[in-house]
Amino acid sequence: MEGQAVKMKYYILKRILIIIPTFIGITCITYLMIRLAPGDYTSLRAGVEGELKAGSLSKEIFEQEKKLYGLDKPVIVGYAEWFYKTVKLDFGTSRKDGRKVISHIADALPITLALNILSIIIVYIISIPLGIYSSIKKDTVQDRIISLTLFLLYSLPSFWVALLLLKYLSGGDYLNLFPLGGLYSDWFEQLNLFQKAMDILWHLILPVVTLTYGGFAFLSRYTRATMLDVINQQYIITARAKGLSEQKVLFVHAFRNSLIPLLTLMATMLPGLLGGSVIVESIFSIPGMGMLAFESILSRDIPIIMAITSISAFLTLIGIFLADIMYAIADPRIRLEAKQ
Amino acid sequence: MMKSYIRLCYIILIIILSSCTRFESVRDPYTLYIHISAEPGHLNPITSNEAIASSINSYIYETLLDRDYDTLELKPQLATKWEISSDKLHYRFYLKENIYWSDGKPFTADDIVYSFKIIKDPRVANAPLKVYYIDVKSVKKISPYIVEFTYAKPYFLALEICGSIPIVPKHIFDDGTDFNIHKNNRFPIGTGPYKFVTWNTGKTIELVVNDRYWGPKPDIKRIVYKIIPEPNVALQMLKKGELDVMALRPIQWVRQTNSKHFQESFYKFMYYQPYYNYIGWNARNPLFKDKNVRKALTMLINRQAILDSLLFGLGTVVTGPFYIHDKYYNHDIQPLPYDPIKAKEILHRAGWSDSNGDGILDKNGVAFKFTLTIASASKFAERLATILKEDFSKVGIQMDINRYEWAVFVNKVDKRDFDAVTLGWSLSWEGDPYQLWHSSQVQAGSNFCYFVNAEADEIIEKARKEFDVEKRIKMYRRFHEIIHDEQPYTFLYCTPALVVVSKRFDNVIVHKRGLNYTEWKVKQ
Repeated sequence: MEGQAVKMKYYILKRILIIIPTFIGITCITYLMIRLAPGDYTSLRAGVEGELKAGSLSKEIFEQEKKLYGLDKPVIVGYAEWFYKTVKLDFGTSRKDGRKVISHIADALPITLALNILSIIIVYIISIPLGIYSSIKKDTVQDRIISLTLFLLYSLPSFWVALLLLKYLSGGDYLNLFPLGGLYSDWFEQLNLFQKAMDILWHLILPVVTLTYGGFAFLSRYTRATMLDVINQQYIITARAKGLSEQKVLFVHAFRNSLIPLLTLMATMLPGLLGGSVIVESIFSIPGMGMLAFESILSRDIPIIMAITSISAFLTLIGIFLADIMYAIADPRIRLEAKQ
Repeated sequence: MMKSYIRLCYIILIIILSSCTRFESVRDPYTLYIHISAEPGHLNPITSNEAIASSINSYIYETLLDRDYDTLELKPQLATKWEISSDKLHYRFYLKENIYWSDGKPFTADDIVYSFKIIKDPRVANAPLKVYYIDVKSVKKISPYIVEFTYAKPYFLALEICGSIPIVPKHIFDDGTDFNIHKNNRFPIGTGPYKFVTWNTGKTIELVVNDRYWGPKPDIKRIVYKIIPEPNVALQMLKKGELDVMALRPIQWVRQTNSKHFQESFYKFMYYQPYYNYIGWNARNPLFKDKNVRKALTMLINRQAILDSLLFGLGTVVTGPFYIHDKYYNHDIQPLPYDPIKAKEILHRAGWSDSNGDGILDKNGVAFKFTLTIASASKFAERLATILKEDFSKVGIQMDINRYEWAVFVNKVDKRDFDAVTLGWSLSWEGDPYQLWHSSQVQAGSNFCYFVNAEADEIIEKARKEFDVEKRIKMYRRFHEIIHDEQPYTFLYCTPALVVVSKRFDNVIVHKRGLNYTEWKVKQ
């Protein structure tokens, strides 16, 4: 027992130490890629998509401006400078508007987190019961109808659904139930706290619908499959043989055991929480992480790209680390020796 | 359990719906809601060159001279008058007195001197603007209300460049912080008819009438710019009454805004702006060296038919490098006809024929193959390229298409790494072809198609020093002829702005320069 605890500590320490070089590796490659990709913020400003301002290209002055942002230095020096600042938690300022990168992320992150957490909760609440139901009614008409519907939903492109929802439910030509995008109403300031919360919820309904409907298929099929796996195990037969009620067999014995893979699935979603959908955000005029990342990549806004990459790299690494530790603690069959 | 769950959801939904829709109709008639499709980075006229930022800034910031909305002539704005020295090197402006920044501090010559210093400062990231001020040597304060600009050499646009210098308040910006990230870049303080109030990131930018404004106060008390990235959603909002002004895409103009109800509630305006698009042939590529080949290529492109099918006929085919409604544009020149048979003859005379029978023209063993570089986000370029590919292949020219993301695309153009390219130029109201067409600009300027012509160079240089408009018109019309004869580009279209405005407003006039919100009246 004593030896096991020491091994555990050693294992955790080792895993933490591995995180550091991995993090450096990820950010270094990202930085290299952005710097080596053609195009930079300064020359981009010579025009907008497909249209240049007459006479705005001048190499000499562009070179001068690149120097201002250290883009004339060798890539590796640029990375070292970036890394040094980041260790001090200084992510720099955005090229686009001169605001601190941190405040960009602080604006966009809560929005994206709210949308993602809401949709994940809804996907889980709906798909897991559907999955269990399908596994109980395996190969019946109900099962088939459920899978057919879910796969139909899964295959609908979200930009199309989003535009249809807006046109028919909020356009005013047909129904006028929801707002046409945004996160809160123009009269938000005049509302009390409860109304404010309701106002935001009201604005979130259509985006959340758009984000969730495609997710049901995967999770409910996954639940169905793991449930079926478990149901065929011998201990379920034992439970039935003991004379337990069907409900008890399903929910106490079968479902609990099928939960383990579902939980690990959740752990891998930790970094995914930060990512936003560009399509949903742009159609519903929501300034979230998806648009922030997408626009900063298109405009070569290096400080923002690097900040988003390093935050999600960090979270991914922590997520994997936690998952491994939990495995090691939860499942006695995983032997730490094997990892030495 | 399930039933009570559903009931709960139902109740929540009803609460949400009832608590929100109540406020909807509260809308101040004196507020103008304008659609913008992207959020500007900031609103500093010296460091920002985004079109959206300039249009917002034109209501907040002012400068010495302005262009008249109808005649497009320069007229005083913050200056009362100006004097030009006889050697055309010194430009003296007399400023209006009793002009105040919207925070109450007086506007003086110091602000102009400071703004010029900032424009030239190598630490300030404003490359696109710096280019214009290369030849301005100094700006001197003669008295608190007189400034003098000194030019390095005589130049016919000098008055405009000096007179349109972006001016920011010295007392706000000169506080020792980095100009590029100054907090007032996102909280502008100007002298114009409106002043900035708030910026809801990702949602709105709001202006209100500036009480200290020196001119007549506009009827519209408040302007709200709404950021809506998706054009279809913006059109829905417009129809619902949540927007008053919006620029349409051609398909929206033709197909989605013609109902009787729409016509009753909105004006639809179409007006031209200094812009044209084109296909540029890189003359460094041996294929495009011969002007006859370039002419033949133009004659293979059915410009009118493409305009009709891709842009619903909304636009005009142009023939040269000036804005079609500019005085310099030579209307005597007709576009080269669409004539594939004659084009083939010209190519044949230039030595291009299918000698090895593989279906592709060749000359001295080189096949007529090239790549058209386009910006991947431009739907127009994408469709145009597909049509060209098809049409060229019929006469034995193989054209491939390379799509690049905008950042990469600009880089390719900048490095002259392309065979042919399609792009647009947005011009200024009064153009100088120097940057685009002078042979000195082939390496580091905007002449990326290697247009080199001795007579053109001479005209461009002479015209820069010619202060007589009539003479300049003559010179530029000749220059237009040369360009037409050389066909360095296949000139395509000048496309109009398509704007809808709510009929809540009166006195909405379309000027040569476009719309001016300050003169609109709210209908009672």
